[in-house]
Amino acid sequence: MIDLQKILEKAKAIQKEYSPFVTLPEKLEKPRSRGRLSGIMISVKDNICTKGLESTAGSQILRGYVPPFDATCIEKVKAEGGIILGKTAMDEFGFGSFCTNSFVIPKNPFDKERVCGGSSGGAGCITQLADFPHIAIAESTGGSISCPAAFCGVVGLTPTYGRVSRWGLIDYANSLDKIGVMAKNVRDAALLLSVIAGYDERDSTSLNVPQEDFTKYCKENFKMRVAVPKEYFTGIDEKIEKSVWQAIKKMESEGMRYQEISLPHTSYALPSYYLIAMAEASTNLAKFCGIRYGFQPELKGNFDEYFSEVRGKAFGQEAKRRIILGTYARMAGFRDAYYLKALKVRTKVIEDFKRVFKNFDVIVAPTMPILPPRFDEIAKLEPIEVYMMDILTVAPNLAGIPMISLPCGFVGKLPVGLHIMADHLQERNAIQAAYTYEAIK
Amino acid sequence: MRAVIGLEIHVHMLSKSKLFCSCPTDYEGKEPNTLVCPICLGFPGSKPKVNKKVIENAILAARALNCKINPEIFFSRKSYFYPDMAKNYQISQYEIPLAENGYLEISSKKIRIKRIHIEEDPAKLIHVGGDITTSQYVLIDYNRAGIPLLEIVTEPDFSNTKEVREFLFKLSSILAHLEIFNPSKEASLRVDANISLDGGARTEIKNITGFANVQKALDYEIVRQANLIRLGQKVERETRHFDEERRVTVSLRKKEFEEDYGYIFDPDLTKIEITQKWIKSISMPELPDARVKRLIKKYGIPAEQANIIVYTDKALADFFENCAKIYADRKKLARWIVTDLLKCLNWNKITIRESKVKPKDFVQLLKMIDRKVISEALAKEIIKEYVPTGKSPAKIVKERKLVMIKDRRILEKIVKEILEKNKKAVADYRAGKEKALEFLVGQVLMKMEKRVDPKIVREIIKSLI
Repeated sequence: MIDLQKILEKAKAIQKEYSPFVTLPEKLEKPRSRGRLSGIMISVKDNICTKGLESTAGSQILRGYVPPFDATCIEKVKAEGGIILGKTAMDEFGFGSFCTNSFVIPKNPFDKERVCGGSSGGAGCITQLADFPHIAIAESTGGSISCPAAFCGVVGLTPTYGRVSRWGLIDYANSLDKIGVMAKNVRDAALLLSVIAGYDERDSTSLNVPQEDFTKYCKENFKMRVAVPKEYFTGIDEKIEKSVWQAIKKMESEGMRYQEISLPHTSYALPSYYLIAMAEASTNLAKFCGIRYGFQPELKGNFDEYFSEVRGKAFGQEAKRRIILGTYARMAGFRDAYYLKALKVRTKVIEDFKRVFKNFDVIVAPTMPILPPRFDEIAKLEPIEVYMMDILTVAPNLAGIPMISLPCGFVGKLPVGLHIMADHLQERNAIQAAYTYEAIK
Repeated sequence: MRAVIGLEIHVHMLSKSKLFCSCPTDYEGKEPNTLVCPICLGFPGSKPKVNKKVIENAILAARALNCKINPEIFFSRKSYFYPDMAKNYQISQYEIPLAENGYLEISSKKIRIKRIHIEEDPAKLIHVGGDITTSQYVLIDYNRAGIPLLEIVTEPDFSNTKEVREFLFKLSSILAHLEIFNPSKEASLRVDANISLDGGARTEIKNITGFANVQKALDYEIVRQANLIRLGQKVERETRHFDEERRVTVSLRKKEFEEDYGYIFDPDLTKIEITQKWIKSISMPELPDARVKRLIKKYGIPAEQANIIVYTDKALADFFENCAKIYADRKKLARWIVTDLLKCLNWNKITIRESKVKPKDFVQLLKMIDRKVISEALAKEIIKEYVPTGKSPAKIVKERKLVMIKDRRILEKIVKEILEKNKKAVADYRAGKEKALEFLVGQVLMKMEKRVDPKIVREIIKSLI
């Protein structure tokens, strides 16, 4: 029998030193059923609704909000015997690349002066530090699983858009949001994905495809065809470039053939991603106005004044920035040039990937252009410089294809992430390639 | 001065459940905020799910209004902050509505339909201690939030309120025949009307509830604008509100430019394909025009009465046909429905749907006339009690002892009394004034509470004078 009390104490000790959690329950609930996740702690990113457990999405405006229902993925975890460990820290509503835009800021497990990456920073942090059976449920809109996976030295699996139901996910940008997993190894990630994936009629964008046991793809395969996109190696940290090339060469030495290819619309992915994401986010955040839930100051003034008071006080800087930019992008006169144009670019980016996947099983690239930065370094960055950090992760996220970031070595004491991308619904290829590399490295 | 009027009509569509969740829609009389769930309350993490049945109902409306139905439709988010909005955006349709370019024919012209789309109703605001302009605070009832609305936008093709009235009358009957609308609920139809006169700016009167108010609001607004123009003053471009109590329109806000709702496609909902196959699989009920023709042909009733029966309300036409199954004199039936029954319903301010009037009882009343148990005049009295109470006409006759007096001796005695009292009329009649006879008959009828057959009374009078 596992000692849940002891595990909670361990989590509290980690929390004290690294702050990966927004909320830890007073007591870990014993699971009501047994299944594939029996004995495993499951941490949950704070933008995923957990019945009876505060869910804030990292925002002050949702402080004290206790959802009346479980997200679909949480129902599934509970049905398979998983134990909900706590809610992990994130950038407010997922708005950030470092997990610093919130009231709880986790510290990097390899260097407490450095960030965990965002927005699922808490999930990456606890996944690296847990010395008990643990897998994390995280979420990615533009790279929020891959980035912290790279910075925290763990495996992060972002599935195809629509593979996991978004019912119960507090929206950032609905057409981009994907619930995924973070784990110490590829097999654990594949296991949790097998549990949470599946069609759900409560989410209209959920894909009606057969259930799969992804762990069965955890076997070595040296016949995979690997594409290496040249656009993903410009302007990145040389040490990362070197580390990733070493990984590719290692795969080659074991028999995997690679070829350099081009994804010509890569440079348009970033602005297109931010336009779509912010336009959607600015409407999603409109509902937070202090009427039905969350932060409620004293009721005064007319409703415009009250809404402004609530939103002015409780939203963080980055949330406000994205609301303003997103609203601007969808206003008459700008809508065609920005929002609608971005939707068109998105199809171009998808076509780029589709073309490559006709001849290749996976695309391999670095996950992040830099090593985890120090808190004092990022304080000096302009917003646009922060957005540039997502340059390698936004294109596959915009395309909605599955991807895995996994560790491929260290620069000094800091981990480097290798990014493996596959075609829509071909998680099996990404899992198999990642598992194979993990086995030989 | 010629008026130019365009309408945006919002109709509550009949549906078991709301547009994007499974909450029930029968909110009238329910405790506030009891027919709600995380979806219609806009709770974080909830997602809308389209009610396909509503789309099918809207397709029927689009076909009946001769519209082109788009093969692929989307829902969009219309963003604006208002306390009645659960999400501060309304899920509506923008770029590609359900249907476009239709028309509805009224007696004088075709009114073009610009577009038809589906959207969710916001919550209901209760302005406590006043109206929209004077109350200190509002209460929000989300029971109404998410109820499916059909928005029908016309081109500015109306040139007077009479045309508007006829159009709405006809539209209402069509939607009722499609069984997607209940015309007896005033609140289930709301209209925004754009109106301008030659030489003036356009105003928009928002949120007028019910047919009668649309006409009142437009009549008022035409006079108001005409007076301004006559006095050389400017008609402001603005949004106005119709005050039902005072029957006037009042300014809500100036409108210098179109509001910008920052529409985006709702990324929680996928596109919906409307295939010809799907359209064909939805069976089209009989529409009012066809029904009018059928009633004339099948029952031999006059066109004018058939029109009234069908266009007043589908339920009235159903009532007529149900009565016709058990009553052979259809002409008499139709006449009684369009005259006395409708008069009594209107007097009591109810529709046939809300009344307790049943075919069996109504036919019983007509049959009593046929059997001369009661006179037509007496039947007109009985129906006045029957309509509001639903008490069967036979019972009313019995309770009020309204049976006809047929005994000739009693009748002669009464006639004699009347003749005695009205000597001048008797003299007039003898002098050749036919009208005097009718006066005397009337006197007898009044005395006998109409329990006599006027024909017989007339005979007796003639024989006695």
